[in-house]
Amino acid sequence: MNIAVLLKQVPDTTAKITISNGKVDENSVSKWSMSPYDEYALESGLKMKEATGGNLIAITCGPERTKKMLTDAAAVGADTLIHISEDKVLDSTQVQNLLATVINNNEIEVVLCGKQAADTNAGSTGPGVAEILDAACVTMVSEVSFSENSFISVRPSNTGTEKVSTSGISVFTFDKGLSELRRPNVRGIMMAKKKVIETIKPEELGLGEDSDRIILQTQDSPAEKEPGQIFEGVGEIPTIVSKLRNEANVI
Amino acid sequence: MDYEALDFYEVDSLLSDEERMVRDMVRDWVDEEVIPNIENACREGIFPDEWRVALGEMGVLGAPLKGYDCPGLSYTAYGVICRELERGDSGLRSFASVQGSLAMYPIWDFGSEEQKMHYLPKMASGEWIGCFGLTEPDYGSNPGDMITKAEEMEDHYILNGAKMWITNGTMADLAVVWAKLDGVIRGFIVEKNDPGFSAPEMKGKHSLKASVTSELVFQDCKIPKDRILPGVKGLRGPFSCLNNARFGISWGAIGAAQACFYSAKDYALSRIQFDHPIASYQLVQNKLSWMLREITKAQLLAYHLGQKKDDGKWIPEHISLAKMNNVDIALEIARVARDIHGANGILDEYPVMRHMANLESVKTYEGTHDIHNLILGRHITGIQSFTREI
Amino acid sequence: MRFTIIAEMNGDLLHPTTYQLIGAISEIGSESIVICPNGKGSSEASKIKGVEKIISVNGDCFDLFDGSAWASAINSVCEGTIVASASPNGREIGSIIAAKRKIPIIQDVTAISSGITVTRPIYSGKATETLKINGDSVITLRPNAFESAEVGNDAPISIVDQTSDVRVAVIEAINKASERLDVTEADIIISGGRGMGSIDNFSHLESMADTLGAAVGASRAVVDEWGMPHRMQVGQTGKTVSPSLYIAVGISGAIQHLAGMRSSKYIVAINKDPDAPIFTVADYGIVASWEEALPILKSELMKLS
Repeated sequence: MNIAVLLKQVPDTTAKITISNGKVDENSVSKWSMSPYDEYALESGLKMKEATGGNLIAITCGPERTKKMLTDAAAVGADTLIHISEDKVLDSTQVQNLLATVINNNEIEVVLCGKQAADTNAGSTGPGVAEILDAACVTMVSEVSFSENSFISVRPSNTGTEKVSTSGISVFTFDKGLSELRRPNVRGIMMAKKKVIETIKPEELGLGEDSDRIILQTQDSPAEKEPGQIFEGVGEIPTIVSKLRNEANVI
Repeated sequence: MDYEALDFYEVDSLLSDEERMVRDMVRDWVDEEVIPNIENACREGIFPDEWRVALGEMGVLGAPLKGYDCPGLSYTAYGVICRELERGDSGLRSFASVQGSLAMYPIWDFGSEEQKMHYLPKMASGEWIGCFGLTEPDYGSNPGDMITKAEEMEDHYILNGAKMWITNGTMADLAVVWAKLDGVIRGFIVEKNDPGFSAPEMKGKHSLKASVTSELVFQDCKIPKDRILPGVKGLRGPFSCLNNARFGISWGAIGAAQACFYSAKDYALSRIQFDHPIASYQLVQNKLSWMLREITKAQLLAYHLGQKKDDGKWIPEHISLAKMNNVDIALEIARVARDIHGANGILDEYPVMRHMANLESVKTYEGTHDIHNLILGRHITGIQSFTREI
Repeated sequence: MRFTIIAEMNGDLLHPTTYQLIGAISEIGSESIVICPNGKGSSEASKIKGVEKIISVNGDCFDLFDGSAWASAINSVCEGTIVASASPNGREIGSIIAAKRKIPIIQDVTAISSGITVTRPIYSGKATETLKINGDSVITLRPNAFESAEVGNDAPISIVDQTSDVRVAVIEAINKASERLDVTEADIIISGGRGMGSIDNFSHLESMADTLGAAVGASRAVVDEWGMPHRMQVGQTGKTVSPSLYIAVGISGAIQHLAGMRSSKYIVAINKDPDAPIFTVADYGIVASWEEALPILKSELMKLS
């Protein structure tokens, strides 16, 4: 079975984000990492590969720096590495079309990715790719297995979780999984270093450039928080709760 | 706060991709498994067995050795591994140094083909632990006058004597022991169940508490004939092991220093006295700036030494300089970091006093600070000053 | 410019977010077509100001959640710019509709202006970006980021029957009591310290945590002296956390504790001692005993859900 895992490289969630001239300064990002939910997708893909004797294809779309993440994926067991080389920021449709085309070209039976990437936290890619592939889609799963020609996954429900089955080509987006992520080892790293990354230009996929439908106007630092306020007694608790809800948006 | 390793001159950007991947692997493991558990290990005085297993699984033991299922990494990668381990704890790095440089290396370099095939794969995987018996109760800096001796019998050797300050001793499956056979220093492999061999643990250390330190006692210890290391005679054997271990220490000490700097900086920025963070005071800034200066110099020294080691263009005195300097500044940085932490610095909530106490051992073992000075003195002047006979 | 809103449901009723979606579009001067999946909430929605008409889309495909089936049914009646809640289901349906219509989607928008221009947080709130959208798109709006529309309307309701293929089958429902989250993964943490008086009083924090879907944390003093599990400890030698909201109850705020939680996005502190250092990092401090403050805090929170 050919298993595709879609990976996105993002600034490490601990990295500082610096804005200069109305734009995030990517050069100042101290560490780029695989987006955390994608790590669970990769782990699940590796398990599925081991159970079915399949081939795991790691795919990413982005600039040159993203190749490092593919090598990291190879160090834990990804078999084939595909880099769609694109320096520009693409809109969701463009990215999904590129990924779906590569998936179609590789006779893939199942696609795994994170439920959202840690940069925009959007969560559009998995469902969007599923739609283009005309595939079944289950989001926010914690585990997936394959048996008797169908995929069994576990997703949250109103009352807890539910097991759902899909057949045919299926796309799963991962929440934090149950299993521990595997660590690379020196042997894996040495093998990964030798692995060839297949680089594809968007033009080679026959996808013409759309006109820019999304134009970035500015990136900013978040609004400064107000200085702390201390209240004597419990009288202001309703105000605090309403501020937390309506201004801070944290409850 | 997530660990940010001080790397002011971006020396790590000179590493190969593979070396950086190994660094990240070890660093993540230290973050997730070592740092949350180290204080407990120190309090109980144990080296957690999970760490042995994990080091074997990561495949970092005997890092620069090639073949026999050993990792086959560069010496620079070995240095990086030591640095990341010692950022966690010097006792952890000691475990890896002893296993790789002092136990696996002599078998790899001086052992017979059978010995290499038998021991090295299981040592690289962490299944078997090794230790290294050179120092004796009365012979530390002067190992040439060791008392432990071996006698050749018809189909075996008999060892008699005692070794002291042996890292991993009590937990080891095998010991590489240096003893005099007809007055010449030779290496022997002693296994834990050999008759007449025991390895009682030394208790009461104020340093390297998460590392096992032992005596090795040989009372008519009988070992088979095929346990002698055929490839080396004299002090060159143990000294070549020590060169590799000292190389690792010169990197490891930087890890401890980085940990102390990181903790001191974080503490100074968050500790408010006289209405301002203490980091805003000049005396504290002077300390932090000095720490950064010394760490940066040590990093450049270690990196360049790693390149020389990988190119084979090194002399033991290069290693002496790096071991001596980097441990010296790391210890002083740990002391200054403890000072910046004020009274909080003596608590085990912060790593600084543990590193400080550990580094006192590191300054002394594997050639004391002063002995390395004498090695350099001899190199400069051509006159040895270890003994009175000039 | 036309806007179609996909109503967000809460069981058979409209979710409060639906009012906010309509409110946000009214704010930029447009009326909205509101789609009610399976007809639920359509008469309620027709009474909201700013609604031009309601389309109730009915079909068995809505019996269980299959984003793709829902999106197919809803898509057939959408036009213009499509607006949904940035809830998990809203995001999924929105993504699929965007892919069907080959138009871009912008998720988790926190501000919108006519033209249209949207703002969304990026890098977990460490920055924001403002985007100008040319042509039609799907946008999902963050719950509680917009003012709700008011009631006072009588928009017409039309009913459309739809079928679409459901490709996801539920084979087993696993009910489970919601497990309390671990402090390292929770978005809200409520922690107690020595000021709680005794370990038994942590039950008050636990019941509050259940109301909020939060994790319960503890200071080192409580872990060491009262034997709370170490995995709950927040601080220098415990876990380092950065939730959206950290509520410290009866914690004085020793520097070791602050080291573990000061990067939380919002900090609320409850402590009797007005000089407690925890107040130096708090966004909102309440100088009161926990016995007085917790019941009021809890009842205020209950009102929200």
